[in-house]
Amino acid sequence: MNKPLARGHDSDMRGRRPRVLVVDDGITMRMFYRSVLEAAGFLVEEAANGMEGYEKVLTQAFDLMIVDINMPKLDGYALMQLIRGEPAVRGVPAVMISTEAGDRDAAKAYEAGANFYLVKPIPPDELTEVARLVAGVTVP
Amino acid sequence: MSTPLLERFVSEARDLLQAAATGLLILERQPGDEAAVNEVFRSVHTLKGSVGLFDFPAFTKLVHAGEDVLSLVRARQLVLTSELVDRLLDTFDQVSAWVDAIDTTGTLPKDADGASREMTAGLRAVLPADFGASQATASAVRTGELVGLDWLAALPEKDRLAAFAQAMDGAEIQAIEYAPLQDCFFSGEDPLALVRQLADLQSLAIEPTEPWPVIDHLDPYRCVLCFRALAAMPRVEVETLFRYVVEQVRVASVPPELLISLTGDPNGGPVYGDFVDEAYPLIAAGDWPPLRRAVGALLQLTAPTLLLASALRWLDAILAVPVPNSDWVNALIACIADGESNFRPVKAAQPAALANSGSRHLPDPTAVPEAPGRTDPGKVSSTAVRILESQRAILGLLTAGGDIAARLGSVAQTVTNLLAAEGHRADDLAAWSRAVDAAIAQDNAAPVIEVLDRWLAANHPSAASVRPEAGEHLIQEIKQTSRVLKVDQAKIDTLMNLIGELVVSKNSLPFLAKRAEEVHGSREMSREIKDLHAVIDRLAQEMHGAIMAVRMLPVSEVFDRFPRLVRDVARKLGKQIELSIEGADTAADKNIIEALGDPLLHIVRNAIDHGIELPDERDASGKSTQATVLLRAFQERDQVVIEVVDDGRGINPEKIKASALAKGVIDEERAARLTDQEAVNLVFTPGFSTAAQVSDLSGRGVGMDVVVNGVEKVGGSVSIISVMGQGTTVRLSLPLSMAVTRVMVVEAGGGMLFGIPMDHIAETVRVHRDAVHRFKQSEAFVLRDAIVPIIRLDRLLGVEPSAWFGDGSDEDAVLVVRVGGGLVGLLVDHFREGMDIILKPFDGILADIQGYSGSALLGDGRVLLVLNLRELL
Repeated sequence: MNKPLARGHDSDMRGRRPRVLVVDDGITMRMFYRSVLEAAGFLVEEAANGMEGYEKVLTQAFDLMIVDINMPKLDGYALMQLIRGEPAVRGVPAVMISTEAGDRDAAKAYEAGANFYLVKPIPPDELTEVARLVAGVTVP
Repeated sequence: MSTPLLERFVSEARDLLQAAATGLLILERQPGDEAAVNEVFRSVHTLKGSVGLFDFPAFTKLVHAGEDVLSLVRARQLVLTSELVDRLLDTFDQVSAWVDAIDTTGTLPKDADGASREMTAGLRAVLPADFGASQATASAVRTGELVGLDWLAALPEKDRLAAFAQAMDGAEIQAIEYAPLQDCFFSGEDPLALVRQLADLQSLAIEPTEPWPVIDHLDPYRCVLCFRALAAMPRVEVETLFRYVVEQVRVASVPPELLISLTGDPNGGPVYGDFVDEAYPLIAAGDWPPLRRAVGALLQLTAPTLLLASALRWLDAILAVPVPNSDWVNALIACIADGESNFRPVKAAQPAALANSGSRHLPDPTAVPEAPGRTDPGKVSSTAVRILESQRAILGLLTAGGDIAARLGSVAQTVTNLLAAEGHRADDLAAWSRAVDAAIAQDNAAPVIEVLDRWLAANHPSAASVRPEAGEHLIQEIKQTSRVLKVDQAKIDTLMNLIGELVVSKNSLPFLAKRAEEVHGSREMSREIKDLHAVIDRLAQEMHGAIMAVRMLPVSEVFDRFPRLVRDVARKLGKQIELSIEGADTAADKNIIEALGDPLLHIVRNAIDHGIELPDERDASGKSTQATVLLRAFQERDQVVIEVVDDGRGINPEKIKASALAKGVIDEERAARLTDQEAVNLVFTPGFSTAAQVSDLSGRGVGMDVVVNGVEKVGGSVSIISVMGQGTTVRLSLPLSMAVTRVMVVEAGGGMLFGIPMDHIAETVRVHRDAVHRFKQSEAFVLRDAIVPIIRLDRLLGVEPSAWFGDGSDEDAVLVVRVGGGLVGLLVDHFREGMDIILKPFDGILADIQGYSGSALLGDGRVLLVLNLRELL
């Protein structure tokens, strides 16, 4: 509770590439995220399901998570709930990805622990901008 | 043409389709299998997500329809009937075909649109009537494009403006896409006349569905047109008009905003910054007349070809009503501000004016609340506003109680990051940080909500919060993931070739050692080389083993397609068959597995077609009406054995004998002497087929000899055990790996070396010249009461030496080989040693050469040609 929740950002980010964890069971989608986000200057780490994502979040530091909802083993909602219950990593911003547009799904995502919600198909520009803003990357 | 992303997609799509089809078959038998439902749904869902990255609308549409059907099945709102399974399997087949087309050509085949439309309609037909409609509308409002209605934007702006005006007057606008059948002229249809009957036609585009051929090849009796129209009339009327060609028509009610899309030159023209600045307060105040006057005035000043002019024309059209839709106005103003052509109205349910403003000002959060109008000079993009809005919504969830710290952390971080990314002043960050600290101290989100609300409120009067429904999620079964590396087959093949060459290079070391001793007289050096050879030999063998292990695939690769096949064939023949599979994880070399597919397919089809009886017949003979076909794989020493066991009628040896006699395969005397097993084995004789009538399935004039060929090609063997009335077992024995081939080296044609696969060799004999009998042009000798024809290898290969030197002995070296069930004596100059070689098939221009299966490098650097006796003899 006495942890500094918002870290002094300027000093933190300068001089290193932001790290993003992409959790999606679709291998093509992961490749898409990787190519778009790497082009935007991110270091991209991948996980193929919620369980793998959970392990990576616990063992590596990330500035941002991109989390698909429908996944085997551990779905996006459950993954987010686990992460938000984990004091060491609950501050990592997360963007959830779905194919459903409805308010209901967005609300579920926010409830589970997402900070933002995007609907497939995601235009690369939009992905880049959201990732940049949520991870706190200034435009060069 | 093909990008890495597309390649990845192709391989993923194939995996997903296989998984979906497999799951579906499990589901058909066990409709309650939740894991299978989820597996099928998720596969299709993931496929839909992936294909969305590419421009394959026909593909996306069809997969989407499949997903909709499966979502209802998953929710137990739809029963999975056999018909529905058929339909879904057909869908997967179609999609697989498209994936193949994408793999080879990078695009969908020309007929994909039509096929997609037809199959999508078929799938949607099983959905409840309102299902597709509500889905489509939802997505239309969201993205500004009704699925498959992207052609709307291509219609002339004039037409769309006119239709829009009609819609504003309360008319229903229908988008109609009508693709008549290609042979419609022969059924008396007149597509154009039909379209002309549309009452209030606002726009019509007629386009060919494929490129026009040159005039000589044009078939005027084939209709390759697609009509796309906008009509202001109720949907029912349109449907009535097209009632005879329902399946060729798509009708969609068009929400007015779908008609709005901007055209024209995005570059050039004045910048209307002042107009934009004035417009927002007017919109906020709902003061429309001055805005419309301003739009009218600007329209006079703007060149009509510009994008700006297009936006102004649409603004004018929207403002023509007393109470215009402010979302659309906002979106268009944003387009004018940014010079963007992408009109994206926000769904009314969402906070308007959040997502669409081109540039927004964040108020200084440190400002006194009484002056909310004061704004910070730092600008925040529309996406940033949407993200802030989300954080506000999340905080709204927290006030209801619960663990605030669990959520506040990521919200605080997100906002901090966002301010940093947008280059905000330090005091914004400081204000936020203070609010966060206060919230933590009070264990209450109110302080941060207040700051966020203040930032948002200045731009937008009603900060919305999304009220969620309680989401209940159980954490699913957590299993350790096994990590699998996917590697291109070609890379493994390269490794395999390299290890092959290494083995051969290594084999030259003994030669070197011999030379060191004999030529250079250094015994010491010779021994060192031999020691080194032993080390390299061991390493090479281990490496060879490791690579072989990588190449091992489970037989399930082949078995997996059989549930589907058996089901289809059984249904077609009206037989009831239960397929069971055992030992699907038995592994064998990739080449063996690949060679297994066709023979196995043939055997299984044979079993179902000829072996299994119809239910009545089974019942009459006291068997259960449901027949069983068992596919079994297991390892036996260094062989992998595959058995196809059926409990059908078995093979009747007498029938086989009769058939063989009738076809002249054997004579009566031999028929009388045959044991039952020998009679059964006659089915392997080339050209033999017992089926009284050539059926669609198995008897295409090819028999079991094809199976034998396929299996023997990879060094395996086939046997049949059949018990009348109880069933038949076909057994394939295959080597675990085929990378190493054992050959016998022979000399022919005066010193040339040839390799002959050991599998074919029966024995080696030396035949006295006097024992060789001549019949006309042919020669033969007697081997233990059997007459064996003799073929001179050098003559067969066309490498006869100009003169025969003879070796002084009066005996000939004859290699007796077994080919296609018979014995043949190959007369060679000399026998040499047997050896293990790594056979390399010919490639390049030699690839098609007949009579040779490949080459191998010998330790002394010479090339050994390995004969393919099956082709030669």
